[in-house]
Amino acid sequence: MSMLEYRRFSSLEDALRFLSERPDAKIVAGGTDLVVQMRMGKLKPSTVADIRGIRELRGIRESDEGLEIGALTTIEEIRESSLVERLAPPLWEAAQEFATWQIRNMGTLGGNLCNASPAADTAPPLMVLGARVRTARLGGGRTIPIEEFFRGPGETILEKGELLTHVHIPRPGDSEGHAFQRLGRRVAHILSIVSAAAAVGVEDGRIGWVRVALGSVAPTPVRARTVERELTGKTPSRDLIKSASEKVLNDIKPISDVRASAEYRRAMSVVLVRRVLEKALRRAGA
Amino acid sequence: MSSSLIEVQREEFSILDSWLKAREFIVVGKSVRRVDSLEKVLGRARYVEDYLVEGMTYARIVKSSVPHGLIESISPGEASSHPDFIDLVTAEDVPGQNQVGYYISDQPALAEGKVRFHGEPVALVVARKPESAELLRSMVEVRVKPLPAVFDPLEAMKDQVIIHEEVGSNVVIKTHIGKGDAEKALEESDYVVENEYRMGYQDHAYIEPEGVLAIPRDGEYTVIAPAQYPHLAQLISARVLGVPQSKVRVIQPMIGGAFGGKDDMGPILAAQAVVAAHKTGKPVLLTYSREDSFTSHCKRDPAIIYYKSGASKEGRLTAVQVRIIFDAGAYANRGPFTLWRATAHASGPYEVPNVDSRGFLVYTNKVYQGSFRGFGNPQVQFAAERQMDELAEKLGIDPLEFRLMNILKPGSRTCTNQLLDHSVGIGEALRRVAEASGWREKRRRYGRIENGKARGIGVACAWHGISTSRGVPDWCNAYINVAKDGSVSVYTGIVEFGQGTHTGILQIVSEALGIPVEKINLIGGTSDAPDTGATHGSRGLSFGGTAALIAATKIRKAVQRVAARSFGCSPDDVELRDGWVYCRRDPEKRMRWEEAVKACYLQGEEMSATGYFFMPKERFDEKKGQGQAYVVFSYMAIITEVEVDVETGLTRVLKVWPALCAGRIINPELAKGQVDGAILQGLGYMLLEEIKVEDGRILNPAFTDYLVPTIMDLPEIMDPIYVEDYFKYGPMGAKGLAEMALIPMAPAIGNAIKHAVGVGPREVPYPAEKLYMDLRRVRRG
Repeated sequence: MSMLEYRRFSSLEDALRFLSERPDAKIVAGGTDLVVQMRMGKLKPSTVADIRGIRELRGIRESDEGLEIGALTTIEEIRESSLVERLAPPLWEAAQEFATWQIRNMGTLGGNLCNASPAADTAPPLMVLGARVRTARLGGGRTIPIEEFFRGPGETILEKGELLTHVHIPRPGDSEGHAFQRLGRRVAHILSIVSAAAAVGVEDGRIGWVRVALGSVAPTPVRARTVERELTGKTPSRDLIKSASEKVLNDIKPISDVRASAEYRRAMSVVLVRRVLEKALRRAGA
Repeated sequence: MSSSLIEVQREEFSILDSWLKAREFIVVGKSVRRVDSLEKVLGRARYVEDYLVEGMTYARIVKSSVPHGLIESISPGEASSHPDFIDLVTAEDVPGQNQVGYYISDQPALAEGKVRFHGEPVALVVARKPESAELLRSMVEVRVKPLPAVFDPLEAMKDQVIIHEEVGSNVVIKTHIGKGDAEKALEESDYVVENEYRMGYQDHAYIEPEGVLAIPRDGEYTVIAPAQYPHLAQLISARVLGVPQSKVRVIQPMIGGAFGGKDDMGPILAAQAVVAAHKTGKPVLLTYSREDSFTSHCKRDPAIIYYKSGASKEGRLTAVQVRIIFDAGAYANRGPFTLWRATAHASGPYEVPNVDSRGFLVYTNKVYQGSFRGFGNPQVQFAAERQMDELAEKLGIDPLEFRLMNILKPGSRTCTNQLLDHSVGIGEALRRVAEASGWREKRRRYGRIENGKARGIGVACAWHGISTSRGVPDWCNAYINVAKDGSVSVYTGIVEFGQGTHTGILQIVSEALGIPVEKINLIGGTSDAPDTGATHGSRGLSFGGTAALIAATKIRKAVQRVAARSFGCSPDDVELRDGWVYCRRDPEKRMRWEEAVKACYLQGEEMSATGYFFMPKERFDEKKGQGQAYVVFSYMAIITEVEVDVETGLTRVLKVWPALCAGRIINPELAKGQVDGAILQGLGYMLLEEIKVEDGRILNPAFTDYLVPTIMDLPEIMDPIYVEDYFKYGPMGAKGLAEMALIPMAPAIGNAIKHAVGVGPREVPYPAEKLYMDLRRVRRG
């Protein structure tokens, strides 16, 4: 009969020490992904390390460079935060429509990222915001751009014994605009078929820089670099946005599954990219 | 109707008639608070899993992972060495008949010899702890030699793979109704529309999955069963045990939703649980997980419908020709009846002179079909109502006008040539709902794309025969006992699973006895009550209420007789109201209800009564497919307003106007609850709910990907318009209503989508992706 060892931590150091000794331990915070996967028999860990009690990894702070969000901050805390609304608008928008109240109360930002689902709704906003993630391990840690964090479905660059601790989001400039949109099969409480986020900086009436990212249309959340290239330096217009959005097909590799066909996902990616670009540009005052 | 029945039931007829004519009601027609709400809110209500019995054990089903095959062996494997393992129960352990088939004896309680669908229960594992039962079932070794399987009903009709050797063909039942010459009439029609429609499964998705607790004691069995017909659960349990029916006692716990599903699954789980209880000698709580419920419990029948209908240039329907194929899955279960109902409702609620409607029930190696709110009718009404809109379009007539030109009314004959002599309010319902919704104006204004979105408004009607069809014997009963202190107990076999029927029955008894609801206790859903038939076919309040009304009126009459003697007036002048018994002509002459009851006890008046009533039915000629299909029909008209995002295909239902013809409304608040719930369930059927099957295996057995509507999908639902078209055998004229609003929802949405974007759905469900693909095809020409 299989036994499960469950350990709870309230200090980061204790947790890191334990993880260095027991690299196979699965880390649990809100449990909204892990527990489900365990019940479905997809994961059978022998050891679970509960880090939810580590207070220093929780909370939203304004820093000199922008925003610092602890990995254990719940999605609901993000949803209710006026700081996030002001300094990271697309992340705040994603949190508004994220799952259900119950899940938002349990699920954490770090958990959403570390579970590395292609459908993680917080990833595209963080990607367009140029966020970096900070990790910790016994005797060290690193800070890396969010885009380099994901490696495949359920896979990140985190090594054994390494924990995601914080997410850093740079302060947005004055002439920047952002937007996030998702498409689900019903109004709410649903996994996205496609999600998209955009951030754009307008300079002298032109698109100075732009970032577009999508979820659920590739093995990891992805940047739409072809779309970005198509837009950068140009004067925004309806036609330009329309034709640039269609280029997203070069950036994505959706699959067909029980939720949607690849064909539908491709078509919807074009629609959503166009919509978030229009919205972001409008908000940037263009 | 046989004259002897009229003679025998003379008293019952006169009781029903007198209440039908009553001018004033005290309790009936009021939104009395439902009797089970407080205990539910306080968390005191006991569902099957809340029953704790000493020595209880826990059972789970072991399922086939092969869609079709021969069972070679079933052994506990490693499970037997687990400390919590008690037993493995298989077909070999069934002491009586291993048979739970509803109409056709084709279904075992536990698979025997063969498995016929992926997810079929082949064994039960019984454990000391519930969590161990879950673990142990994964250790059981089931060896099956796979056979070729067939999943598509059209393929199955070729009989290349036979699923039931004992039946000999996969086409297990054929149905037919009709009149006139549809073929010829269609040839001569000015306009003809012909289409193929396809519908998928729908899962009941009740909050509480299936579960039954069976407690053995000295050769007798108490079964706590969320079943919709306690006496059927009792009969089937007794059959598998090989004991007299009277040795099994069925009690209903609080039930977390049923929608028809527990009409089938209640008896089936009861049969499985009693076999385990018999073998182990211990109380066994058998529960299905949510995943089990998805993979292994019956669903709404998937259907393929070929529909051809014609109209004259004057706008009169000339003929309908319908071919209905129902995918039964691995067992016939209710299929013979859902299919018959579909066949007999195929015309929709319209006068059609020439009808030819035929159905085919086909086995496939998939989860089987079963009872579900609407019972075969939503599928065929979808086709019929989409056809009506397409015909109207061809004719250039407003679809609502076109319906009114053909609608059934008192004196009409139905598609089975049944004369409707009373209780047909659908025409008025349609007119009123059109007015309430602003139909004409919106019909003109909508249907244009603005900013990527388009609004549309659509209408659909439905008719639905109440209770059982044709000559199938139909009765109801209730037993009422008045205690010496004047408090009253009502025993009914009618089951409460959320509809509020028990509250409705209490209101009827309260009305008849002139005492408050609080003085009356209702013991329902138990085999201790007289056999009242099933709580299905929207018959719970209508038929169960009739029986309660008859029984209560018999007691009322006894009280009137005794009081009349005391008052020196005629029994007809004795009124019962607000706990008082008094003389209408001289209200000073009065006594408390309790005194009157005491007087009855002292003066030889019986203070208990039964309310047996055998439903008078006329003949149905199966050969011709003509005659009385149902004693009475309820009717529904629904208008929906939708908004379609033409870029994504997402449809939002914004507003719904329901109009219902269900005779007298006993409790408006409860009626509204049923209408609202059915509308949301119908919305799910049309837009969201889809079971995806690959090689017979269900790919989405969880709420993650089987999408039921959430509160965020809830449209604005207007207060229902009630057209109270009284039914002469219903209590105070009530007909059934719980199923009604679901039935026309799918076509009402479909017709609104058509109005919005010009694409007419021919499939259910019709989620965003399908609409998007259809729109793209149309755009590309």
